[in-house]
Amino acid sequence: MLISWNMLNDIISIPASLEEVAERLTLTGCEVESIEYPCRQLKDVRIALIEKLEKHPEKDLLFVAAVNDGIGTAVVVTAAPNLSAGDRVPYGRPGAVLADGSVLGTRSFGSVESQGMLLSAEELGVPEAADEFGILRLSPDAPVGEDAKKWLGLDDAVLDLSITPNRGDLLSLLGVAREVYALFPGTEWKNDPAQTPAPAEPKEWPSEFRGITLEDDGCRKYCLGLATGLVPGVSPLRVRIALSFLGMRPISNMVDATNLAMLTLGQPTHAFDAGRLAAPEITVRPAVQGETIRTLDGKSHSLQDTDLLITSGGNPIGIAGVMGGENSEILPETRSVYIESASFDAIRVSRTSRRLGINSEAAFRYARTVDSALAEIALNYIANLLKEWGSAQSAYVIRSASSERKDQVTVSITGKMLQKILLTGDLDEASQILQRLGLKEIAAEEGKRTFNVPSWRPDITIEEDLLEEVGRIRGYNETMEPRLPQVLYGRGDIGSVTRLKGDIRRTLLSRGYVELVNYSFLSPSFVKLLRLPENDRRARPLELANPLSGEQSVMRTILLPGLLRSAEQTSLAGWKSPVMVFELGRVFLPLEEGGHEEIERIAGLVYGGRDPRLPYGPQEADDLFSLKGDILALAGSRHVSLQFVQGEEPFGHGGQTAGIEKDGRKVGYLLRLKPSIERDLDCAPLYAFELDLEPFEKDVLPSFRESSQFPPVYRDISLFVPSESPMEDVVRHMREEAGELLRNVRLFDIYVGKGVPEGHRSLAFSLAYQRDDKTLTDSEVDGVHACVRKKLEALGYILR
Amino acid sequence: MTSILGELEIIEKNFAERLSGAASSDELQQVKVAFLGKKGSLTSFLKKLGSLPTEERPAAGEAINSLRDAMEQRLASKKTQIEEAESAEEERKNRLDVTLPPRSRMWGGIHPVAQLTQDVVEILAGLGFSVALGPEIEDDFHNFEALNIPASHPARDMQDTFYFPDGKLLRTHTSPVQVRSMLRFGAPIRIVCPGKVYRRDSDPTHSPMFHQLEGLLVEKDISVADMKGCLEALMEALFGRSLKARYRASYFPFTEPSLELDIECVECSGKNPSCRICKGTGWLEVAGLGMVHPTVLRYGGIDPQVYNGFAWGVGLDRLAMLKYKLTDLRVLFEGNVPYLLSGRAL
Repeated sequence: MLISWNMLNDIISIPASLEEVAERLTLTGCEVESIEYPCRQLKDVRIALIEKLEKHPEKDLLFVAAVNDGIGTAVVVTAAPNLSAGDRVPYGRPGAVLADGSVLGTRSFGSVESQGMLLSAEELGVPEAADEFGILRLSPDAPVGEDAKKWLGLDDAVLDLSITPNRGDLLSLLGVAREVYALFPGTEWKNDPAQTPAPAEPKEWPSEFRGITLEDDGCRKYCLGLATGLVPGVSPLRVRIALSFLGMRPISNMVDATNLAMLTLGQPTHAFDAGRLAAPEITVRPAVQGETIRTLDGKSHSLQDTDLLITSGGNPIGIAGVMGGENSEILPETRSVYIESASFDAIRVSRTSRRLGINSEAAFRYARTVDSALAEIALNYIANLLKEWGSAQSAYVIRSASSERKDQVTVSITGKMLQKILLTGDLDEASQILQRLGLKEIAAEEGKRTFNVPSWRPDITIEEDLLEEVGRIRGYNETMEPRLPQVLYGRGDIGSVTRLKGDIRRTLLSRGYVELVNYSFLSPSFVKLLRLPENDRRARPLELANPLSGEQSVMRTILLPGLLRSAEQTSLAGWKSPVMVFELGRVFLPLEEGGHEEIERIAGLVYGGRDPRLPYGPQEADDLFSLKGDILALAGSRHVSLQFVQGEEPFGHGGQTAGIEKDGRKVGYLLRLKPSIERDLDCAPLYAFELDLEPFEKDVLPSFRESSQFPPVYRDISLFVPSESPMEDVVRHMREEAGELLRNVRLFDIYVGKGVPEGHRSLAFSLAYQRDDKTLTDSEVDGVHACVRKKLEALGYILR
Repeated sequence: MTSILGELEIIEKNFAERLSGAASSDELQQVKVAFLGKKGSLTSFLKKLGSLPTEERPAAGEAINSLRDAMEQRLASKKTQIEEAESAEEERKNRLDVTLPPRSRMWGGIHPVAQLTQDVVEILAGLGFSVALGPEIEDDFHNFEALNIPASHPARDMQDTFYFPDGKLLRTHTSPVQVRSMLRFGAPIRIVCPGKVYRRDSDPTHSPMFHQLEGLLVEKDISVADMKGCLEALMEALFGRSLKARYRASYFPFTEPSLELDIECVECSGKNPSCRICKGTGWLEVAGLGMVHPTVLRYGGIDPQVYNGFAWGVGLDRLAMLKYKLTDLRVLFEGNVPYLLSGRAL
């Protein structure tokens, strides 16, 4: 909301500077986002009288003017075609500064030396205030010799206020003046626009006007003014300048008057061409489902029965509180208008304007509630302006219809609550604050005061609202010292999920991974990239109804795509080293029975990089087993044991994909990406894992076991194992056979090649035998070990 | 006798010469054999002892033995010396360039927002707040209705929302966890809810996804001063120093009164009129806060006549940016590995 400092000072006298007012407004809830001085640089421009105007002796398109600016007479050359002797214009002598900062000087045009310049609206910094091409001509009452900047109001400062949605009353000069009045005791009203009197000399309405009918309680009050004998033209220059400072383009006297009324009072109004109404009457009614209207902006809208319509003779002429209809729009030839000033239901207007996507100034204000007391006042205000400007011949009489219930809101504040929330028991101070805000104290009891709430503060309905008013005006800074809550409380619990994430983070960071946070949305193309088949529920992500872009239109069902994108882009950006990344985050999976579930996941990705050269040899490069180590490390940090089984994923390498299980339940995958995906991304090799967090969530204590006092005895076994047989099967068979004497089995060699039968590999293990109660003898160990060997042979393994 | 001693002297002199010439263990062994071996010069001299007159033998024997002891001692010491030199030489040959890179992996890179979230949660746990989590896909009731933001309320304009076709939505703030937690745990309650939130907005200072942390305390007789104390304790612990705080009145539908907290600019403390971080105002807006609205307490199943309290929301990304002096919000979510690694000490 833009507020003119000059206009504010026209209606109240403020015992404080602009900066003090801005600071107080900001601290009390009406944040001043900026203070602009639109013509800050403009300097030394005076109002001058053109005493003589002649054509330039040599140059056809130029004129030579003799002007008097109160200091003396000067000769100025101008190209403007709109001047004549006797005009009063803004004039800058050499040394004067224009709005854009340029300094005027003396310049020769042929034989004539021009001193300074006669100025246009643009040069003054208010291009929109121009009403014709050329130099800005001032009214005949413009005092010659005066500082034009001051006289035209170009010395104004404009405050940009951020108004919270609960304070619709602050969307006007009047509202801000009331607020400043409350903030600065000592402020006096000079010219309260809410007290605008009805125009003098009322005239009769046309006898044929049949009246106003309200058929929908979405309109509580509907007032109509009539202006006849309109004189088409512009509004006064000072008004045009003020409007342009406040972000409104000056249009015509009629439109400017309604805009000025809205900016001053906060009441939106709308003018209908009286001659273009279908019948001499107005009815406010709900729209018929499917009814259409073409609004001022030339767009057609299809309406619903919850929309509120202004109609005449059955035809829609406006969407209530949103925008007027094109069929009754005022035209240059319009000579008489009906001016609507009404009170519409905030929610109805808000729903309609949202649905139709019309963000008009009127709808914005109605959605934040317009004080119904303003309806007539705004019409008075406009009528007075039009008369004052000579823009209309006739005075105005107001017709109105109202179904308004006069519900006076009454709220009490207690000393007890004041003490509890604001640590003050001073009800008198609170009462003074509230009264300056326009509340009327109607009862004072012991420890309690009761107030009538003014019509412009519909946001105040309960005691807490009064506490807030008192709190914000007293201020929260100096009035109370911070303290910690009195009740002692133990340390809070960060919770197992937070602890788990912390453990995982530490583990993976120490293993070289970089943590990513990717967007939760993906492009639907991830389904294709990952080769997810239709029957995979990860291929059916939840779709946003209103995504920002197709790239971010579905919710992720898997973390992998975000990590892949990071590897791909990092590599494209010229990074050649390995990329190791992980992410902790949620995926969103559809459920068969409808709805969805949110699942916390951890995923990691390792890409060898464009340049895989390593100083210590290729055995240092990451592969499936180094990632397996990482996964086991993070499981270990939570004291959880996992199993890896040969597995399958649509995006996994056909021979290098593992399912990860906990207690026989699948909890994730570890794999090398399918080579065709590696080719798609132009990144290889790519290794990835992804796990549900839930299996790790429970905080588990490590369980320790006392170690044996007696030394272990070691034996090696080397055997040929079919390539497709898992190593873990061999170990399991050994353990089953040896029982608890076998404490540890360690694989120390894998060999494929010469001497190993086709389709086999040679595995060599070191087995540690041990007892807790005595030292094992060689013969005992040999006995058990022989059984193990025999068992393995019986199972078909070839022992070496 | 004198001749014996003379000869011994000669042997000793020869020995000393040979010993000092020995440069390796092998040469030292040769010296040992030459003098003390079976055919060594001192050994053979000892054999000559029998040919001496009886009365001279003891003295001669003693002289010989003492010379042998001395020689053995010097051999041993020389041996140590040579071995040390040889070992040193061997070690020198196996010299490594310690400036080579490490073989194992380097420390990775934590995400600044994750780090900050952990820090904030730990600080608040110290003040008695426990972590509560909630869904990111919410319903209208928890995200709006129960927070005193009915349909068509203009406050909904404050938060542009992502919707799903079934009417569900991506939560626009972490506040819905307030209501869920009150319904689940009742009062008194102290919780914090960190998490992702979503708004339909994207420009250099807005990301459609960002992180918030909601705090809620509901007890008896809680004042605005208690809220100030908790928030200032958090900021002080987070930034590691006491920062000036300023409270501005504001509006949130779910708190009454509502405030905003500004802290002293962490970059310039208000001393630089052209500060890029605070835009010269000296203040940084860091939190929205207020006393929980009685309507919200009621939706949470808590009697506002008995209990009251406060709630706040902070933007974790913004705090991370302030703490780690980051300039662009969106780069945090772009998976930019070099950027995320750039904070690592090398």
